[in-house]
Amino acid sequence: MRVRQRAVTWSLGLTTVLAVAGTLSAGIGPVSIPPATVVKILLNAVSLPAGIEVAPLSVAGTLQVPVPTLQWQSAVAYPVDSTAETIIMRVRLPRIMLAATVGFALAAAGTVMQGFFRNPMADPSIIGVSSGAAVGAVAAIVAPAAIPFGLGLRGAAFLGAVITAFVVYLIATDGGRTPVATLLLAGVAIQAFLGAVIAALQLYSGEGLRAVVHWLMGHLGNAGWDDVTITLLIVPVLFGMLLAYARDLNVLLLGEEAAAGLGVEVERTKRLLLAVSAVLTAAAVAVSGVIGFVGLIVPHMLRLVVGPDHRVLLPAAALGGASFLVITDTIARAGATEIPVGIVTAALGAPFFLYLLRSREVHTL
Amino acid sequence: MSDPPLVVDDVSVTLGGRAVLSGVSLTAERGELVGLIGPNGAGKTTLLRAIRGGVTPTTGVVTVTSQSVSSLSAREIGRRVATVPQETELSFGFSVEQAVAMGRHAHIGRFGTPDETDQEVIADALARTSLESLADRPVTDLSGGERQRVLLARALAQATPVLLLDEPTASLDINHAIRTLETVRSVVDDGTAAVAAIHDLDLAARYCDRLILLAEGDVVAAGDPERVLTSETLDDAFDATAVVSRDEVTDTPRVTALSAESTATADEEE
Repeated sequence: MRVRQRAVTWSLGLTTVLAVAGTLSAGIGPVSIPPATVVKILLNAVSLPAGIEVAPLSVAGTLQVPVPTLQWQSAVAYPVDSTAETIIMRVRLPRIMLAATVGFALAAAGTVMQGFFRNPMADPSIIGVSSGAAVGAVAAIVAPAAIPFGLGLRGAAFLGAVITAFVVYLIATDGGRTPVATLLLAGVAIQAFLGAVIAALQLYSGEGLRAVVHWLMGHLGNAGWDDVTITLLIVPVLFGMLLAYARDLNVLLLGEEAAAGLGVEVERTKRLLLAVSAVLTAAAVAVSGVIGFVGLIVPHMLRLVVGPDHRVLLPAAALGGASFLVITDTIARAGATEIPVGIVTAALGAPFFLYLLRSREVHTL
Repeated sequence: MSDPPLVVDDVSVTLGGRAVLSGVSLTAERGELVGLIGPNGAGKTTLLRAIRGGVTPTTGVVTVTSQSVSSLSAREIGRRVATVPQETELSFGFSVEQAVAMGRHAHIGRFGTPDETDQEVIADALARTSLESLADRPVTDLSGGERQRVLLARALAQATPVLLLDEPTASLDINHAIRTLETVRSVVDDGTAAVAAIHDLDLAARYCDRLILLAEGDVVAAGDPERVLTSETLDDAFDATAVVSRDEVTDTPRVTALSAESTATADEEE
């Protein structure tokens, strides 16, 4: 019971932090909007089901079937400046929502990877997901005609990420067993190989070079509601699956032999954790490019604060990652010229992490 | 009469092309502590791994509470067999209580949380191993003896009919070794069937009901400590000369290993 209470308390607290950060962030930009106005605009946008209307629908020409549909209605209607409303709803809010979702996904996947590998250096890109996504995205920029099925950049990045993770898994698996050390090394080797592919593609990218570099640095500009909708559909489901395995992750920290003795189906659990983390990372990277450090540093920060129990750590790190990326992306776009958010996450995250590292007694991992 | 909780029937294990166990059989009844003794590399640890399904026997069957281990899931095995490992990674900042609570993993559903029964079993395991006062300390702050007690408590929290111990006293001083074995003995007396790999022959003789002497994957001798611990069997298994006498205090066999030189001297004196 105590664990569940701690998990809920931390989650509520960090959700509040995220809400405050998001609201303040929405007011920051070329046009400054006071937080009170932001809140009013957000409340205006909230729709509540107001009733059910039954409309007759004709089926097969003659037969009339009554079909119930939910009627939505805004709960409140504060008078607000319509320009401010457009800026918030069309430009800033989707970007903030996307930052939160991507940060959430990267930090959750990073937490799982660090526990899974029992290695503090692990992050979501360790099994080559980010490199695979980069190859897909860069190929889509350099030679869009070469991408099958009319996938587009996001689709190519997602597919590249998932395929790479699967290939790394296959290489490292022998006789139904996937030793994490082999997985780690296979991931490093594939990353190096794909790095060469990306470099070669860049060399011949010509006009597309700027776009390639921009993507590789990670960015959240051009975020639209469709990106937000897709990631919001994928991320919570995958996160729920990871959360269901939080206790298994704790036991896996004791080593695989001990975990098996305590009743964990080790290989099956590893497969599931790996697959879910890979897809979670792929979804995030596909819409935002390679944003480093969130998946590596945020889990460590939260582990220092809430401890190693994944039932508390996993939601806390995910929500912390969401706030972290919302804040860093706000900084990235607040200046006169926008800088890629990947630069901000590393430039701010690393010193803050080093401070935490020195100021608290650090247990391994 | 019901079957013994643990039956190992003619188990052979081959690892990396080498026969590590060849046709080993043993049983452990409720309330019985069976000691596995033998030189390094005799196959003691492999036998324990085979019992908990960690390695698959090439021939033979391990039966726990009347069910073949190879037919059980990890979770089902986790409810039947608990292991106290020689040493394990306890390098994470979990508290003692959290570490012991992990013993309940196989008893709690995926979406469940520990209920009152779980809490009682955890509290009982902490009490039996005198860890109550350390319950909130991080395991990383503990001494070697205390960590060994955490591992024992974790196994007790699993509340299984079969308990395996792999050199539970190997890294402990004599005081902690005795305390650990006393705890194990009391758990066994409450109806658990236990198999313990033990290096210290005197302690094995003192606390185990029966001993099984393994050498090169074979059972060399099995039975009462008095029958297993003889100069002949030890010479055979360990390739060392040893004198077995009687400990006056505990009234159990005492083994004194002799070097080749001192044997020669002893012979001359005779």
